[in-house]
Amino acid sequence: MALDGWKERLFRRYLFWACRPARVRRILPRPGAVPAARHFPKNRVRAAALQLELKLFRHPMDYVEEMHRRVKEAAAEGAQLVAFPEMNNLQLLGMLPGIEQAGAAAAAAEPAAAGGEARGGGGITLADVIFYAGPAMEPLLKATFSTLAAAYGLYIMAGSFLLPDGEKMVNRAMLFGPGGELIGTQDKVHWTLLEKEWGVSRGRRFNIFDTAAGRLAMPVCMDATYFETFRLLERRGAEVVIIPIANPEPYNYWLALRGIWPRVQESPVYGIKSALVGRLLGFELTGRAGIFAPLELTSDGSGVLAEVESFDAEGMAVADLDLEALRELRANHPWRDSNETLYRRYFPGIYKAVGAAARGSGSRSRA
Amino acid sequence: MRVAALSLAGIDTGSLARYRQDLSALLKQAQAALAVLPAHTALKLYYGSTGPGDSDFARAFLKFMEKAQAWNDTYLNLHADLAKSLQITLAAGTTVEECGGLFYQTAYCFGPEGDLCAAQRQTHLSREERLLGLSRGEDLALFDCGPLKAGIAAGTDAYHPEVGRIFALQGADLVIHAGALPGAANCRRQAAGMWAQVQQNHFWAVEAQLYGNLCGRFFGGECCIIGPCEVTGDLSGFLCRAVPSAPAATAELDESARQRLRQIYPLLDLLHPEAYEA
Repeated sequence: MALDGWKERLFRRYLFWACRPARVRRILPRPGAVPAARHFPKNRVRAAALQLELKLFRHPMDYVEEMHRRVKEAAAEGAQLVAFPEMNNLQLLGMLPGIEQAGAAAAAAEPAAAGGEARGGGGITLADVIFYAGPAMEPLLKATFSTLAAAYGLYIMAGSFLLPDGEKMVNRAMLFGPGGELIGTQDKVHWTLLEKEWGVSRGRRFNIFDTAAGRLAMPVCMDATYFETFRLLERRGAEVVIIPIANPEPYNYWLALRGIWPRVQESPVYGIKSALVGRLLGFELTGRAGIFAPLELTSDGSGVLAEVESFDAEGMAVADLDLEALRELRANHPWRDSNETLYRRYFPGIYKAVGAAARGSGSRSRA
Repeated sequence: MRVAALSLAGIDTGSLARYRQDLSALLKQAQAALAVLPAHTALKLYYGSTGPGDSDFARAFLKFMEKAQAWNDTYLNLHADLAKSLQITLAAGTTVEECGGLFYQTAYCFGPEGDLCAAQRQTHLSREERLLGLSRGEDLALFDCGPLKAGIAAGTDAYHPEVGRIFALQGADLVIHAGALPGAANCRRQAAGMWAQVQQNHFWAVEAQLYGNLCGRFFGGECCIIGPCEVTGDLSGFLCRAVPSAPAATAELDESARQRLRQIYPLLDLLHPEAYEA
């Protein structure tokens, strides 16, 4: 790896110092400090789906302040559950000298060479950068969202983060509870081609978290491309499925419709999509954060409870989720059915047709 | 390959002869190698030619279940003959099939020689269909449709993504949908069906939706031809989307474009079955 000279080691020590949790806790409100501590009425939860504009922060405390600003806004709307987007630590790459120049170089390169293939001087890849800076970022990220959740008495799905985990690189979502506790994590289960190329390791299971805001799950972005994700979660009792996204393609209504919206119709749950938008490393990220429901649970039959207007600027969508209505719909759905005999006949054997190459885990060696 | 999805709008079902004449004219005009009729085609034809039937759809359907076995010979022969005379593959919509004391909603498809190339029972039932006493099919098989491998999604199977996935992983290039959506056109309801299945499996879909009143119930879905967003000019996923009252939607399937997409973006290879067993 190229990032192992003495200057890099010294700078890494600086990163740990700059990102230390004590600094985070110093600038954020204390647990319970915000008077409007949240009450969680049974069967009803107000959710906020955030859309963040991707900005690089040279100073990590600026990132912390920005996350605080967004939580404060959501809390002012009465949100009890706040969702941040995928790759919500890319902003911290701004701490690394030269990252903007590397991004500009990647943007000028062929589109296929952007991001994953973009290499700065010395052949440094994104994965190298994550292995280098990730260990310093992780404590900062956990301290930030833990402290904010406790200060405002909210559930915060902090988004997902590209982080090292031993020898692997993961795209990991984190959920914090109103006491500031890390309730759980979810590694992205389905690769994009780019993540496969980057060597991101895939999660091997979907997790559900029983909370006062409902039974929550938080698979990541591409996981919403496949019905299996939502079907498995619904069958195991999930009521609210949060999908953080960072979608690297120009906005198009139909392309954007392919993820969470049809999944919520196939497997009745509430869906929350939080989006990272903007440009970095030659990518254009677009999306419209929103809150989705089965058609039958939206007054206009659209399946959309709330949606951010813009696909490339910051915003927030807020809506109330009626968990009791969801349970009633599931129990009395007009056309849903389950054919267990058919499923036993074809599943899981039918998946043998999936390319053998895709079955290998994406464990990436640092060597 | 040119395909057509038909709604039965404007087709006179008042007699078998007039039905055949109208349908034949429409199919000639469409110039499609594959034509797909909507769900309840047999029911509509039965009540069209024998009398208006009950104004309560469920009661009318129950009565038809008793008569269907006798009626099906007429219905199937007519479409087999039509397929042969026009040298096309014709998916004849659905009828009720009785077998071993059980009733199924079944879609039939005839090849250009008039041969029966597929009979697909509906595998998922609506609440109403369960109450009417229908049973679920337990098989999803592909058949040759010209150069393509095809499967049939009958009725509410369009809304159960297991169906599309089973077809896709067996190698389907195309899924034929015989549909009948009660109520006025609802593009969102439809998008949650075959359109969603196409986007997560990268096959084609020819979606025929019944249009008009049938035994006191109005059906108003839109016929459409669907492909992966990337192979449609406006990225919508629709090669053709007819207004509900139009008799047909037609389009040319550019199979080489779909194959190119599958190479660039191997969507199904990115499935992660290991995680589904956990």
